[in-house]
Amino acid sequence: MERFINTILIGISGGSIYGLMALALVLVWRSTRVVNFAQAGQAILSTYIGYVVISHTNNYWLAFPVAVISGALIGALVDILLIRIMVKRAHQGPVAAIAPVIATLGLLGLIRAVVGLIWGGDLRQFKLPVTNHGFTFGHTTIPFAPINLLIVVITFLVMLIFALIFQRTNLGLALRASAYQPEIARLSGIRVDLTRTIGWAFAGSAGAIAGILVTPTNYLAPNSLDLLLVSGFVAAVIGGLESLVGAAVGGLILGIGLAFVLEYVSSSLAFPAAFMVLIAVLLVKPAGLIGSKRSRNA
Amino acid sequence: MLRKNGGRNQLRANLIFIAIGIVLFLVSNRVDELRVYQGATVAVYVVAISSIILLTGYSGQISLGHGALMAVGGYAAVLSRNDWHAPVWLSFVVAVLAAALFGAILGVAAGRLSGPYLAGTTLALAVGLPSLANQFSVLGGEQGLNYDVGQPPLSLGQDFTQYHWYFWIAGLAALVMTWLVHNVLGSRYGRNWRAARSNPTAAALAGIHIGRSKILAFTISAGIAGLAGALLAMTLSLVTPSAFPLALSFAIVTGAVLAGVTLLTGSIVGAVVLVAIPELTDALATHLGGSERVTANLPGLMMSALLIVSVLFFPNGPRLFRR
Repeated sequence: MERFINTILIGISGGSIYGLMALALVLVWRSTRVVNFAQAGQAILSTYIGYVVISHTNNYWLAFPVAVISGALIGALVDILLIRIMVKRAHQGPVAAIAPVIATLGLLGLIRAVVGLIWGGDLRQFKLPVTNHGFTFGHTTIPFAPINLLIVVITFLVMLIFALIFQRTNLGLALRASAYQPEIARLSGIRVDLTRTIGWAFAGSAGAIAGILVTPTNYLAPNSLDLLLVSGFVAAVIGGLESLVGAAVGGLILGIGLAFVLEYVSSSLAFPAAFMVLIAVLLVKPAGLIGSKRSRNA
Repeated sequence: MLRKNGGRNQLRANLIFIAIGIVLFLVSNRVDELRVYQGATVAVYVVAISSIILLTGYSGQISLGHGALMAVGGYAAVLSRNDWHAPVWLSFVVAVLAAALFGAILGVAAGRLSGPYLAGTTLALAVGLPSLANQFSVLGGEQGLNYDVGQPPLSLGQDFTQYHWYFWIAGLAALVMTWLVHNVLGSRYGRNWRAARSNPTAAALAGIHIGRSKILAFTISAGIAGLAGALLAMTLSLVTPSAFPLALSFAIVTGAVLAGVTLLTGSIVGAVVLVAIPELTDALATHLGGSERVTANLPGLMMSALLIVSVLFFPNGPRLFRR
């Protein structure tokens, strides 16, 4: 029983990170119909910026907002400099259908190369904001540590803030309207392009939070978030790729599922398990567990 | 797009392939070892890129995971050669079959997925599959497994080096594969793929089974990628998980996009660019007096920049090759 609860706790902590990455992918997909493979690059760039702040000030809590803000700025820049041109130019011909994939892939490579040029390829360690030594009750120490609790709490707060923005503010209404019916949103006076850029900025900050939260428990390298991108994508697909709640739920399902495979089956099966889950969801319930039917085609 | 005098075109194409082959083999005897090795790498890329051109340019599906399929082919070739002592040509056949089988299973899922879903799924494969080799001792872990295609036959002369031998094998494989793909694309299947890509509804009404046609394209493309993997293993003389990184999957997609994904003859252009970029950036980095950091990242920078520029400004491929 104790082992069972420990596994669930670790799964929730891991799943929170997947959920944040899924949120970043979903925000962009809703507004632009692009699965943003460059999200791993954007997140790693903002994490490196956070790393610079940490190595100068030795303060994680200063690095956190800096990384989040640079993530948002990077996201907005990507939309303005790349995606707008791509949407305008590459809309016909044999490449049109895959142009978004190619463009974001190219951007991922570009950002990764720039990061490598500036900071080099060696693995770096992050200072832990709180300890990764598990909580102790009486004589037993569980694997779930304050750092995991921190990840879960921050993720919960981020999700809450996004939910409030989307459900309770005019900006959120504009974001939802531009994603749902861009033409009609434009007719009713919403500046759709600007709104979309804000959506990209939100996505960029969500990705940056995922990056700067997961890195202290791991290491930092130009490609250290690649697996997170894949897990985030799987989580987003489980959640239907359209819904913010779906992203969070998808992240948790994947996180807990993987934690159980790792704990009870074998640590070498994490990737095949995640891949099987992805294929199974796509074949059995392609619209995701939470999601509308129309999400598949586009 | 019905071709009149298709027979004559066919004959001309075949003659061109043979002529290219003869020229390449003659040239290979006159240049230094490094160029020969690069020539072999170009041939490997030609095979890999033609698999993407078939899949993306004709069937309209995208794969970011062909590096993983190449890994399947590479490992299959090596295992069959080391464990069953298969002759080299047979290990290539095994590579094609293994990757095609894998591709068929994947294609069943892929055939039902549209663009970004397929891209994400294959990306997951590219990230995760090669590292699986670390977890099974039969696959040799991080050190990988050796792959020995043997010495060149003595009848080719004393100064016929190992790299020449690689180049001959890879070059012949690339020519044969290009010729085969050329014929498949011109066949009923090629037409079906193009019809299904440009207008699925009309194609389905005309009696084309869209799903089956997509799975077939994915299977064939995977088989070709498997051959490319076996050839790559040959030029490296071993297979390791790190020989099939995510960057390899990206590189062959880049090569296909640079070649203008719908033109098979572009595959040679894309392949040459892929081999030339590291060479150029190396020269540039030395010229700038760059550190190891610059040399390591400049090729990626150039390649990604080229990819973005070509998809933004030449979405239909370089004007030079457009028909």
